[in-house]
Amino acid sequence: MKTGFYSRLAWTGIKNNRKLYIPYILTCMGTVMMCYIVSFLSTSPTFAAIEGGKMVQSFLDMGFGIMKVFSLIFLFYTNSFLVRRRKKEFGLYNILGLGKWHLAKVMFLETVMTAGITIFGGLFFGILLSKFSELFMVKVLGGAAAYTFTIAFSSVKSTVFLFLGIFLLIFLNILCQVHRTDPIQLLHSEQSGEKPPKANWLIAAAGAVLLGAAYYLAVTISDPVTAISTFFLAVVMVILATYLLFIAGSVTLCRILQKNKRYYYKINHFVSVSSMAYRMKRNGAGLASICILCTMVLVMVSSTTCLYAGAENSLRSRYPRNINLSVQLNEQEFFDAASTEAAKSRIQTVLEENGAEAEGILDYRTAAFGAALQGNRVNLDQQELDSTMLTEDILQIFIVSVSDYNRLMGKKETLSPGEAIVYTTKDMNYEEEEIHIGDLETLRIAGHAEEFVDNSIDSMQIFPTMYLFVPNVEEIIAPLRELTWGSNHVPLVSLYWYYGFDLSCEEEIQIQIQDQISGEMDALKSSMDDDAYFQFVVEGVAKERADFYAIYAGLFFLGIFLGIVFVLAAVLIIYYKQVSEGYEDQSRFDIMQKIGMTKKEIQKSINSQILIVFFLPLITAGLHLGFAFPLIQKLLLIFGLTNTSLLIVTTVSCYLVFALFYMLVYRITSRSYYAIVSGTLSP
Amino acid sequence: MSILQVNAVKKIYTGRFGGNQVQALSNVTFDVEEGEYVAIMGESGSGKTTLLNILAALDKPTSGTVCLDGKNLSKIRESEIAAFRRDHLGFVFQDFNLLATFSLEDNIYLPMVLSGKSLAEMKERLTAVARQLGITSILKKYPYEVSGGQKQRAAVARALITNPRLILADEPTGALDSKSTDELLRLFGEINQKGQTILMVTHSVKAASHAGRVLFIKDGEVYHQIYRGSGTENELYQRISDTLTMLATGGEGR
Repeated sequence: MKTGFYSRLAWTGIKNNRKLYIPYILTCMGTVMMCYIVSFLSTSPTFAAIEGGKMVQSFLDMGFGIMKVFSLIFLFYTNSFLVRRRKKEFGLYNILGLGKWHLAKVMFLETVMTAGITIFGGLFFGILLSKFSELFMVKVLGGAAAYTFTIAFSSVKSTVFLFLGIFLLIFLNILCQVHRTDPIQLLHSEQSGEKPPKANWLIAAAGAVLLGAAYYLAVTISDPVTAISTFFLAVVMVILATYLLFIAGSVTLCRILQKNKRYYYKINHFVSVSSMAYRMKRNGAGLASICILCTMVLVMVSSTTCLYAGAENSLRSRYPRNINLSVQLNEQEFFDAASTEAAKSRIQTVLEENGAEAEGILDYRTAAFGAALQGNRVNLDQQELDSTMLTEDILQIFIVSVSDYNRLMGKKETLSPGEAIVYTTKDMNYEEEEIHIGDLETLRIAGHAEEFVDNSIDSMQIFPTMYLFVPNVEEIIAPLRELTWGSNHVPLVSLYWYYGFDLSCEEEIQIQIQDQISGEMDALKSSMDDDAYFQFVVEGVAKERADFYAIYAGLFFLGIFLGIVFVLAAVLIIYYKQVSEGYEDQSRFDIMQKIGMTKKEIQKSINSQILIVFFLPLITAGLHLGFAFPLIQKLLLIFGLTNTSLLIVTTVSCYLVFALFYMLVYRITSRSYYAIVSGTLSP
Repeated sequence: MSILQVNAVKKIYTGRFGGNQVQALSNVTFDVEEGEYVAIMGESGSGKTTLLNILAALDKPTSGTVCLDGKNLSKIRESEIAAFRRDHLGFVFQDFNLLATFSLEDNIYLPMVLSGKSLAEMKERLTAVARQLGITSILKKYPYEVSGGQKQRAAVARALITNPRLILADEPTGALDSKSTDELLRLFGEINQKGQTILMVTHSVKAASHAGRVLFIKDGEVYHQIYRGSGTENELYQRISDTLTMLATGGEGR
């Protein structure tokens, strides 16, 4: 026999199964395209050249790794689905006299054809769209775009090799399937009965308990550090619970409904409930996968979108003023203002030279230390703190004089010695009447402040901060002076002077001013005595913005990108579910019509079943997202995002957009389902 | 009184684009009396299945009329046809057509659930029908767990449970072994004895020989018919065989 015959056979195989093959080929192409784009962006020199580009590229590199693993799993999965559906065809060929060796040859040619089409097509679209995605990224990062079109041959090479490898594995899997083919059994495979699904109470209950526990964990988390470790535990639990509930729980529910005869023996319930039991038995795992993919997409896209949308906000709380000077001082300089006044005059000179004026000046001192709050007592025992795992108690305490507070916030509070006004950040509340600092001193809480200026340490840390505004800082810290922490015996209390101001001039001038101030502070420091202590950091919004955006934009892009890929996967699984369900339901609805069910009743029953099957994952994903919300909120604190209402808005809108998209996919795929089912429904 | 009147039924299938006209039935006329047991025989392609589909209101004749209880089937509105089929006709198929997702009990209940009958009424009917067909002990089983003969008896129970005016059986013994065939034919005879009208399409001479009358269809027409009269099954069997031989050798009958 000639090769021409085999390739014709292979081509017919693809053509006759186009209902299954076209989506498969499209998905393969999509994956190839995505892989090329990620690889292209992660190596693009134009992209690396813009500020923050390198940072994003490291994220993308990570993304490419994820894409590799995902493409392999996903394409393998979809292909095994294809092969399963074609087993009968193999059996027939086998009986007609095509040996397994010949079948392998045909399948090899089929794989080569699909690989060829998808790799070429995918690369074509990938190259076409790579420029768009580059422009998009450059825009997101706020750089200037270059309009030159390039093809990254190294990316082409790595993508081609990756997919050749994947297709090779796929082909080996097909070979394995063909080898195991038993023609007679295969030809009759569809007629063999299927055992009725059994209610598995134990597994269903385990799923429910697991889900409840995961939700409980997610909701009760109170601090971000435990949130990180709990997050993974909760994710694993939710995934497991989703599978258990979709596979066993749904069947059990159907069985309970069937037991209730008054409910069960009604036109609207009879057919739907009994077929749902079978449908869920077969599709539980697939639906659970869809649900988990949906949840992943939603969590990823909503959190990264939120981060990106809140970037400016986070930037401002990280850097409260355009120029921020933070200086760590020793006690002498902290209370005697000589060096800070010298610094201020040098800054003033710099500003005058640049013709700029400081606005909204922020000028205060604070004594800071980390501790654990237990009830109304601040635990200062460092050994005890080292051994404790209860990170939720940890906080930093900033002691600020009440006169600084009054000046900055425009208040007129007066306190007598031993009193303090308290202000806490990050959802922390302090309701006690007094506070004990170790066993050393006790302060009476005279009032709660409603707000205070942003502080970069506070916004960088995931721990909450407690500000204590006291009449005399020196008195308070005197007893703490001897305390140290760590093996190097660093003093526990650090003394800071903050000086920040806004500028209304251009960003370049702001950066220039920042650099000049840095120089001046260096000069000031070297002019000081040896025993003077003057550790300064100068930060400016203008200078940090690019890096700041690079992280957030990188995450945003990665979130959107992986979101698209996962959605693509979910869509394909949905489509294959619809098609395979269609083939399975075809004969059943034929029988029902003969028995005397109207076409309308059949369609009503189909509709209700499909609606449940397809909207169950979406609704469950929504539920998961809702319960994950507190957890996500805590995790985003790590990135300095404290804007909860923004997170709510982005999460809800992400869900709505996603639901809309899901509906669209459902509409399109259910059409092919109806086409298959109604093929046998006579008019 | 005749329960079913088939009058000059003609059926022409037209290809999708108007070409390729195939005449499946050219001119079929016959009546079925109340309580009769009629078998229709014919070779493959003689139009048996087309005729059965028309009688079942699954298909419409190109011309001619089919009346059940004096009601013209083609005049029944589309929306009522399924209910009509459910309430007036019972079906028994060659491949049983039991739903794999239902237990035998639920399969038998299906037409009654579709008619919206009460649970008590359904139970009462089921008990009676199941006893008559001897399937009481296997009602809770699923189709894949029982033999072909048992499946077919369940299918007969499903056809009988609505007290239909007419049972339409399409090759009911086609997928059964000889023992199950005998059993089923005996049951059909019993049911008929109790006054149930049965119309059976079959290839099998043995099955047809249990009927009270046998119609032969050839080239889309009723070609010949034999009444059992007072003869035995064996006599009828012999006469059917003779007729078939005559049909096959191309002799002119009538």
